[in-house]
Amino acid sequence: MSNAVKVEKLAKVFEFNKGRGFSKTRVETTAVDRISFEVPEGQSLAFIGPNGAGKSTTIKMLTGILRPTSGEAEVLSLVPWRQRNKLSRLIGAVFGQRSQLWYHLPPRDTFELLSRIYELDRSQYLRRSDMLIERFALASFLDTPVRKLSLGQRMRAEVAASLLHQPRIVFLDEPTIGLDVVARQELRDVIREWNREEGVTIFLTSHDAGDIESVSRRVIVINHGRIVLDDKISNMRRRYLSSKVLNIKFHDEHSEVAVNGVTVLKSTGYALKLEVDCQVVGMEEVLHHVVNAGSVADITIEDPPLEEVIAHIYGQAGSSEAAENVEVS
Amino acid sequence: MFKKLASYLALAVTYVKLNFLSQLEYRGAFLSQVVAMFVNDSVWVVFWVLFFTRFPALRGWNVSDVITIWALAASGFGLAHGICGNALQLASLIARGQLDVWMLYPRALLSHLLVGRMSATAWGDALFGYVVYLVMVRPDCPHLLLFVLLSLSTAVLFVGFSVLSGSLSFYLGNSEGVTEQWNFSLITFSTYPATLFEGWVKLLLFTLIPAGFVSYLPVEALRQLSLPHAAAALGGSVMVLVAGVSVFYHGLGRYESGNLMEMRG
Repeated sequence: MSNAVKVEKLAKVFEFNKGRGFSKTRVETTAVDRISFEVPEGQSLAFIGPNGAGKSTTIKMLTGILRPTSGEAEVLSLVPWRQRNKLSRLIGAVFGQRSQLWYHLPPRDTFELLSRIYELDRSQYLRRSDMLIERFALASFLDTPVRKLSLGQRMRAEVAASLLHQPRIVFLDEPTIGLDVVARQELRDVIREWNREEGVTIFLTSHDAGDIESVSRRVIVINHGRIVLDDKISNMRRRYLSSKVLNIKFHDEHSEVAVNGVTVLKSTGYALKLEVDCQVVGMEEVLHHVVNAGSVADITIEDPPLEEVIAHIYGQAGSSEAAENVEVS
Repeated sequence: MFKKLASYLALAVTYVKLNFLSQLEYRGAFLSQVVAMFVNDSVWVVFWVLFFTRFPALRGWNVSDVITIWALAASGFGLAHGICGNALQLASLIARGQLDVWMLYPRALLSHLLVGRMSATAWGDALFGYVVYLVMVRPDCPHLLLFVLLSLSTAVLFVGFSVLSGSLSFYLGNSEGVTEQWNFSLITFSTYPATLFEGWVKLLLFTLIPAGFVSYLPVEALRQLSLPHAAAALGGSVMVLVAGVSVFYHGLGRYESGNLMEMRG
């Protein structure tokens, strides 16, 4: 499978003035620090990191908005900052904080405009927009001015607009920001479906663990401009979580479970919730104690929420590296 | 080449249409802005008419000439910013890192960006320019045709100059203040008879503040029905546009984007 994105030692250094009034000094800050990675076509990647980690800067370099200070990158075999016009016909982008919909006009008008911008064949455009309207359930508000739409409706229209020209890769920067639980889930579902059915490569950044888990299979974590993790999401859980959560239901009242490395999170007459530190105690030993504690009716073993994994990785990366600010004059 | 040009013109027409529809969402506000600008311009013409009733000539210029420069400046400025409404916003767009959305489209960045917005008040200027010329100067057909051509030339000048002054933000970080002052100087000097100025000021009017391509060459072209003067005016406008476009694309390499929340329309 060919690569949709290929990045090699990509770096971006920003210069800015630090200080107040006339006593300013020129300061350099490394937003992206020689990162390298590849994304095969059709893959769904979560590119995550804390605020200021370099996510948006990387996306802006990959979409041709920013020129890197050094390094190489190819998106669909094109160099983004040199072949931006050509590349823009092949990529779509949704920035949760930047809309391409016209605020005072209905989404239908923006769709019409986009068909002109991308010079889409009329019949092809009509077919495509009909399909998107149906799949994103836009019909009920397609002729309503964007300012009157809910945020969830607006973001659905926003993503649909970014797919109008049949891009091969879609960059999604915080697409669910500000959405309620239902709207988030709806948007995640359509993005995931689109990735699987149309084979569109998804490059997602989000602070929402639910987005990452629902949409992506692979995750790259960036912090202080450097990649600190590049792995499958399932592997990330295994690698960074040494604990499991056990939910046990008993047929009758149970006795206490007191094992080194096991914390009782909740205990009622017929139920028990335990957190097991697998580095201290083996799961087999814990289960042995549980079975001895009473007659077990049901038992589930869960990983803790992804948020905890991500917070753990950010914490690790944050403590081992410091931001690099260098005074240049 | 022609296909590409036709495609751009079709896109520009679509933008003008959508911008109008967007403005008409608040019809009352839009019309009041247009009328207010028309009245504002009219006050200045009334002032000059009153002036010329007391002093019939000003360094060889009569009331008709002064009305002509007002008509030209207003119609040129109106067309420029009625169609290319983002030209006056350029300094702010650059300083706030708001070019991002425009850079993701497969169109030449600057021309696409410029037509992306409409200034409502600019249509008041445009309307005023053509109405005042037709009503007060009462041109014959050749003069009217030349006036339309020169108003287009003036529009090119205003767009080019706004691009040039706005692009300073790439170099200064935020040039909103200096850009506004510089644009204001051009507008001011464009509405006074160029014959009032001599020496180095006149040199200034064909270089740093190129108002001479509005208030001198086009007026001479209309007075004498002179195509060479018209061609010189058009040439000057195109030169300013080329300078603006060059500075914009040179500065674009320094663009640093931003993270402001924004919506179109």
